[in-house]
Amino acid sequence: MHIASGFLSPPVWGTMAAVSGAALAGSLVVARRHLDERRVPLMGVMGAFIFAAQMVNFPILLVPGTSGHLGGGFLLAILLGAPLSMVAMTSVLVVQALVFQDGGIEALGANIFVMGVVPCLLGAAVRGLWLRPRPGRLADILTFACGALGLVVSATGVILMLWLSGALPSTVSLAKAVLVMDSVHLLIGMVEGVVTVLVVRFVLATRREAILGTVEPLGAGEVAA
Amino acid sequence: MTAYNRRTLIVGVAVVLIIGGVVSYVASSAPDGLKKFQEDQGAAMPAYPTVAAPPIAFQEYNFNGLGEGFWANAVAGVVGSLIVLAILLLVGYALRRRSPASPVGDDRAATRP
Repeated sequence: MHIASGFLSPPVWGTMAAVSGAALAGSLVVARRHLDERRVPLMGVMGAFIFAAQMVNFPILLVPGTSGHLGGGFLLAILLGAPLSMVAMTSVLVVQALVFQDGGIEALGANIFVMGVVPCLLGAAVRGLWLRPRPGRLADILTFACGALGLVVSATGVILMLWLSGALPSTVSLAKAVLVMDSVHLLIGMVEGVVTVLVVRFVLATRREAILGTVEPLGAGEVAA
Repeated sequence: MTAYNRRTLIVGVAVVLIIGGVVSYVASSAPDGLKKFQEDQGAAMPAYPTVAAPPIAFQEYNFNGLGEGFWANAVAGVVGSLIVLAILLLVGYALRRRSPASPVGDDRAATRP
């Protein structure tokens, strides 16, 4: 859902750049205080994994002619916590914008907000479920639901930004635009939810120490683990 | 670097290169949810000033000069993934916590096992 260049008005992209910039700055401050060395390679390969996975557009069977791809911030936040996932998603989106013309450069803050800040906070919210000794079905179900919900929230955010920028066609009402975008992204989000559960289970089985790292303030559940 | 971290990197990079370099070639070329919405609704781009990245080496996700085939996509996937990896390793190792008890400047010895 990368917003392309030219669709957002300067006040909108300026505001989003400020919000995302502040979130990134805060993430770097927290990461600097708590980053365990074992988590650095995991952050690197998972960030690269999200870049690669975002290239894999899958067709949405119920909506012919439309594709979707993984967001990934949600998955990263479960594995790495909110601060490191923000750093990783920002890197992915910056490389996509600067090197691959995917997403406008002035829209970078907006894209970091919808594909970074929102899913990273949601992922951090369910991270605690996975840090328990034996995550069960509840962790699967809540992760799936929040993964799907995250894309709907982000899709709504994109429409609101386009609306505020006067970039919605006059023929379509705001309500209809939200409905169309949300329904498509609910379907994409369900894929995101399933993939997230599968990848988290795989990485947890193979790289548990790197996921747990050490106790950090944004993951209260880690103390119990 | 510890064996644990080395193994994370080797296995991780192998998986990433397969997905970015090979699997991504069979990705759907249909527009994504947002682009499709904008096309369907006939969204005209407002006249805001734009900052577009010049297609220096890559056009979308294809390496310039290799057309749009398997290899153009593979180079884009591999190079893009490795750039992200490099950035995150640099940032991560710059940020990582050092043991307070160890002498300053001795990075390797100061890190936890």
